[in-house]
Amino acid sequence: MATPVLEARDVRKAFFGNPVLKGVSIALEPGRVHALLGENGAGKSTLINILSGALAPDSGGVLVDGVALPLTPVVARRHGIAVVQQELSLTTHLSIAENIGLGAFPRRFGLVDYGALARSARALCERVGLDEDIARPVGDLSLGRRQLVEIAKALYRNPRVLILDEPTSSLSAHETRTLIGLVTALKRQGTAILYISHRLAEVMEICDYVTVLKDGSRTADRSLDGVDAAALVRLMVGRDPGDLFPTWRPTAEQQPAIAVRGFAAGRVRGVDLDLRAGEVLGIGGLVGQGQEDLLLGLYGAIPAAATTAQFGGRDGLPGSVTAANSCGLAYIPADRKREGVHLVHAIGSNMLLPGLARGAGWAWRYPAPESTQIRALAARFGIKGDLGRAAQALSGGNQQKVALAKWMPLDPKILLLNDPTRGVDIETKRDIYTMLRGFAAEGRAVMLASSDTPELVHLCDRVAVMRDGRVVAVLAGPEISEERIVALAMAADDVRSAA
Amino acid sequence: MSTMSASAVAHRGLYRAVQLRRNKGIGGLTIVVLLFLAAYAVLFPGLLTFEGFAKFSQTWLPLALTAMAQAMLMLAGGISLSVGATVSLGAVVAATTMGTPLGVAGGLGAVVLVGLVVGAITGAITVRLRLPAIIVTLAGSFIIGGVALLILPRPGGSVPTTVSDLLAGTSPVAFGLLLATIALWKLYAATPLGLGLYAAGENPVGAYRSGVAVDTVLIAAYAISGALTALAGFFVAAQTGSGDPVIGSAFTLNSIAAAVLGGVGFGGGQGTMRGAFLGSLLLTVMINVMFFLGLPPVAQYIAQGLIIVGAVALPEIAKRRAHRAGRVQS
Repeated sequence: MATPVLEARDVRKAFFGNPVLKGVSIALEPGRVHALLGENGAGKSTLINILSGALAPDSGGVLVDGVALPLTPVVARRHGIAVVQQELSLTTHLSIAENIGLGAFPRRFGLVDYGALARSARALCERVGLDEDIARPVGDLSLGRRQLVEIAKALYRNPRVLILDEPTSSLSAHETRTLIGLVTALKRQGTAILYISHRLAEVMEICDYVTVLKDGSRTADRSLDGVDAAALVRLMVGRDPGDLFPTWRPTAEQQPAIAVRGFAAGRVRGVDLDLRAGEVLGIGGLVGQGQEDLLLGLYGAIPAAATTAQFGGRDGLPGSVTAANSCGLAYIPADRKREGVHLVHAIGSNMLLPGLARGAGWAWRYPAPESTQIRALAARFGIKGDLGRAAQALSGGNQQKVALAKWMPLDPKILLLNDPTRGVDIETKRDIYTMLRGFAAEGRAVMLASSDTPELVHLCDRVAVMRDGRVVAVLAGPEISEERIVALAMAADDVRSAA
Repeated sequence: MSTMSASAVAHRGLYRAVQLRRNKGIGGLTIVVLLFLAAYAVLFPGLLTFEGFAKFSQTWLPLALTAMAQAMLMLAGGISLSVGATVSLGAVVAATTMGTPLGVAGGLGAVVLVGLVVGAITGAITVRLRLPAIIVTLAGSFIIGGVALLILPRPGGSVPTTVSDLLAGTSPVAFGLLLATIALWKLYAATPLGLGLYAAGENPVGAYRSGVAVDTVLIAAYAISGALTALAGFFVAAQTGSGDPVIGSAFTLNSIAAAVLGGVGFGGGQGTMRGAFLGSLLLTVMINVMFFLGLPPVAQYIAQGLIIVGAVALPEIAKRRAHRAGRVQS
């Protein structure tokens, strides 16, 4: 067995006391394509950041060529470790060639040697299959093409270790083929490659070895020989739900609260979906497959279109947030610090806001009924302490409760929630779950987009799984399982049909 | 396509190809500037004489220098409200040193040094402490302006007449200086430090990850910007023959206006130096035309403001229209 070029041994990392990596080891060997798999939030990004020096582990060590090093981005670069991350590091106003050479320009007399730069940039563009004029500004290129520039930029430094974080997520089928050819060629030259992808078909095709993460722990570290896609999915899922979820009885009515056909908004295309009164409908899938656009589109916050639409018996899409509110819709955003609550304002004022913006008109405000209302809401949602404090004094979980509580005075019939339990403590999670089932039992309709698969399995009447802007399946009752949702989200079915 | 462009971008061709594309980006602006220049020349044929051109380039030079200084900071993701004060300080330093044994060369050196130091300190505070440039330079404008007033409480000092005659006389030396400044900028922009400015301004995290020394790049930009501004002050002092501690005030907003007219954006890394340069030319012509048309100063300000808002709003409106048209088609 070759010595690993880059190795992490028993690394642990926690953010704000929340453990993300619980003692994970991984070893990258020259001439091997190593797959890193895991669900959303399994700890993949944190591990990549540790391997590339962008984060320091709380404990455990990173070894380069068998020697333990305190790794920083500069040191990592010096040792030939290159990362292609999902967020691009490009400058849109500079040309393709200038971007490729950025930070390591060839020089002559102190000036950038454009001749030498052109030669290497052109050779690299050919390797990654980018047939653009290298003088073109990167800002003119599509997202997929920019990704190719990013890869060329990583290769410019002749890396010994290449970490590719979802390199094909924005590439066309043709570009993906070229990239796969490139990875294979690099592997033959002895480059160690770490390949993160949600596309299992690709992983099965080009990777030799796999490490699977689940909840910050390693559940597999083995050769890919003789492993099938279904087995990989099983290694990623399966969390013990414990007593986190309330027991509930289905209360769904036949009557749909929302019914859309051919719905399109943002990334979302051609979605046919019913949301029934009295049910919790889960929206699952990998991060960024259009879940947020679906909710925002229904809520009227972004432009949307549909061939037919019914909201609470009325025809047509609401089209604006105010119209959506008057149809009885409320939206609880994922980014509560920016969209959910006004951090510097009092907890009480936050809870009054939706009512203030409507009902009140030009009338005077009456402090007494307001404070009665606030206190009733706080008691109902278990928000403790002085309600005059700024909302930023609350924990993330309690902020989320405020974001939810503020809609209650409007008595919404339809609740759209975008990942409401992300970064929320266990206690609050349990409270939120109980509330959501409670809303459904009262005959309200709840749509819950979530990146947390157990939540979808244990809380929802039905689950719609989204992939690339479309709903690929709606699961109901016993069909709902973590394996099924993850397999649909990762297109593992395609692997089976392709094989 | 790939083989064609590959052979077209042969050995030394990449640099030229990149420059050509940047020129195309300001094609529309160039046409507008040429139209204004033509109108100006028709209204006032004096522009086309040797002396008329010399005078015109003398009004243009300080605005061009400050517009370039402002554009550097805007490219770096900042903005400077201390341009005016630094111009005044440059003028004051020039007027109080050139008559002394330091002489003209020594005085010029002092002006450049003061500009570099003022810029570098502002830059270090802004960049190292991650403070908003607008606040740091606002505070800086009080400090720098105060220092200028301390050195020279009322207009005075002197710039040797030889210098005044050379720079503000009847020969277009100012235009030559402009060309020299552009040539120096082109050299700087072809260094890793200069190119890094675009990257560090637009995407500092990405630039850092790519190995660009982001802090060094930004502080260098602030220092050079300070030197350019102080030099503009020296030129203003040469024009008037003496130092005035508040003469620079108008340059703060005019430099921003010129950069914005030239398409330099507030987000950092957006726009080009050649755009800012053309913007300063456009603004100079506009001011001159309105002055010669006999518009009262108040009307000039209003017209100037309207044109600048229009210059920023038009591309945005065009973008939205194109977006809407695209959606209707799809």
